[in-house]
Amino acid sequence: MKITAGGVVAAEWTKFSSLRSTWITTGISVLLLIAFGAIASASFSGDNLSAVDLALSGSIMAALAVGVLGALLGASEYTTGMIRATLAAVPRRTPVLWAKSLVAGLAAVVMMTAGAFAAFALGSAVLNNGVAEMALGDDGVLRVLFGAGLYLGLVAVLGVALGMLVRSSAGAIAILAGLLLIVPGLAALLPDAIADAITPYLPSNAGNAVMALTQSDGSLAPWTGLAVFAGYVILTLVAAAFRLKKSDA
Amino acid sequence: MIQVREVTKRYGAKTVVDHLSFTAQPGQVTGFLGPNGAGKSTTMRMIVGLDRPTSGDVLVNGKPYASSKAPLHEIGVLLEAKAVHPGRTAVSHLLAMARTHGIPRSRVDEVLALAGLSEVAHKRVGAFSLGMGQRLGIAAALLGDPAVVMLDEPVNGLDPEGVLWVRTLLSGLAAEGRTVMLSSHLMSEVSLIADHLVIVGRGKLLADTTVADFVTSEGVRVVTAAPDALRTVIAAPGVTVTSTGAEELFVTGTSAREIGLAAATRGIPLFELTPQNASLEEAFMDLTRDAVEYEAAR
Repeated sequence: MKITAGGVVAAEWTKFSSLRSTWITTGISVLLLIAFGAIASASFSGDNLSAVDLALSGSIMAALAVGVLGALLGASEYTTGMIRATLAAVPRRTPVLWAKSLVAGLAAVVMMTAGAFAAFALGSAVLNNGVAEMALGDDGVLRVLFGAGLYLGLVAVLGVALGMLVRSSAGAIAILAGLLLIVPGLAALLPDAIADAITPYLPSNAGNAVMALTQSDGSLAPWTGLAVFAGYVILTLVAAAFRLKKSDA
Repeated sequence: MIQVREVTKRYGAKTVVDHLSFTAQPGQVTGFLGPNGAGKSTTMRMIVGLDRPTSGDVLVNGKPYASSKAPLHEIGVLLEAKAVHPGRTAVSHLLAMARTHGIPRSRVDEVLALAGLSEVAHKRVGAFSLGMGQRLGIAAALLGDPAVVMLDEPVNGLDPEGVLWVRTLLSGLAAEGRTVMLSSHLMSEVSLIADHLVIVGRGKLLADTTVADFVTSEGVRVVTAAPDALRTVIAAPGVTVTSTGAEELFVTGTSAREIGLAAATRGIPLFELTPQNASLEEAFMDLTRDAVEYEAAR
């Protein structure tokens, strides 16, 4: 009998998978992704968005849902008091954060990648006649779909890190929603010169770069954008690890 | 074994635990007593490293807890009943803890049976009563077959059958050579289980003693037809006699047996001869009176 990294990951998977709320939230995330994509694909008839962009119209809503999933997973340890049992079993503490992030991140990547492909398939089937059809083999389509899965997986990890950092579900969800939805809007209020310089680097804009088929002016390159977003996630994880290690549980 | 060495914990200006030292030995049940707010829970959290002492240190089985390779095998704790995700079943909760250490599923079923929870193993914990929550907490504490078992207020919310179960269980664990420590704010509850008492008030050690030593005989109440004659008969160094009524005396420093024998040899009739033991509860209240944090106005 010994504490192992694999054991801590298995324990976190047990915690993750044994809650009904996990499956409900995951299901809602996938559903939002597919439903919004299908509606947008069927109704849109302009020429500035491609079929794959339309299929991923639900990615903002899916990001919120999957971020909430992560935030609940992290913060519920504290809101339920479970953290004391968790840390008494794993007194080195930080392995719990890494394991929780890994489990939430991998689960979200798998589910959301599948969701993105499903959204593309359904979106293509109901696609408005005014928009050109696309196939998986077309330039950039696979990158967009896999990129969406990776981005949404990272959002789940961001949620876990925020939940462990602020130790409150409401607080973590508010910060997450603020980062993804409100900050880009606020940046638009800044003087143009400043806004143009920072807007591409804002978390949601950087993450969205990997999900856009063609890059608009001033947007980061796809993988650069994802890397920038991963940077934000890592920073939040480091802050959460620091608080976990240093402060009383 | 748990060794608490000169531990102090401050939250801002408030000192919750103040230079506290004591040892809980293997093979014994140590009762950790004190009024509400005495620092018991904080001390127990520091023992398993959840709170960091401001100064001093704690050793579990001779080493700092966090350095253990198999923490659940060193010490099993119940810190708060129902500090469990309400949406998780009892079996999933225990399984999640067990997996960290590679403890097999069979052990989870074993502790569930031991705690009398087999029937509700697949029910969500949110629907559990406080008593069932305590049983689940105790099951979790026993999961890793630990050398030390430490329980914070384990009989809170338990029915009489549950209280008896906890007593039997803890005595059995101590008899197996394990260190058992339980906290309570009720003396009566602990005196039935514990061998060793550690009493704290306002974070300070008030007494580190055994149950037997803690209850000291206080004196003997005597009712007699000839109080003055009895006074002279039993007078001796260390014996004090106070008159508490026309025919009543209160004697300390000697025993009821000595008083009875002395009276018989002189033919002094006695109507009543009653040793007056301070109850454990009274002795505990006396000891902690000045250390009560929250007291009702009188």
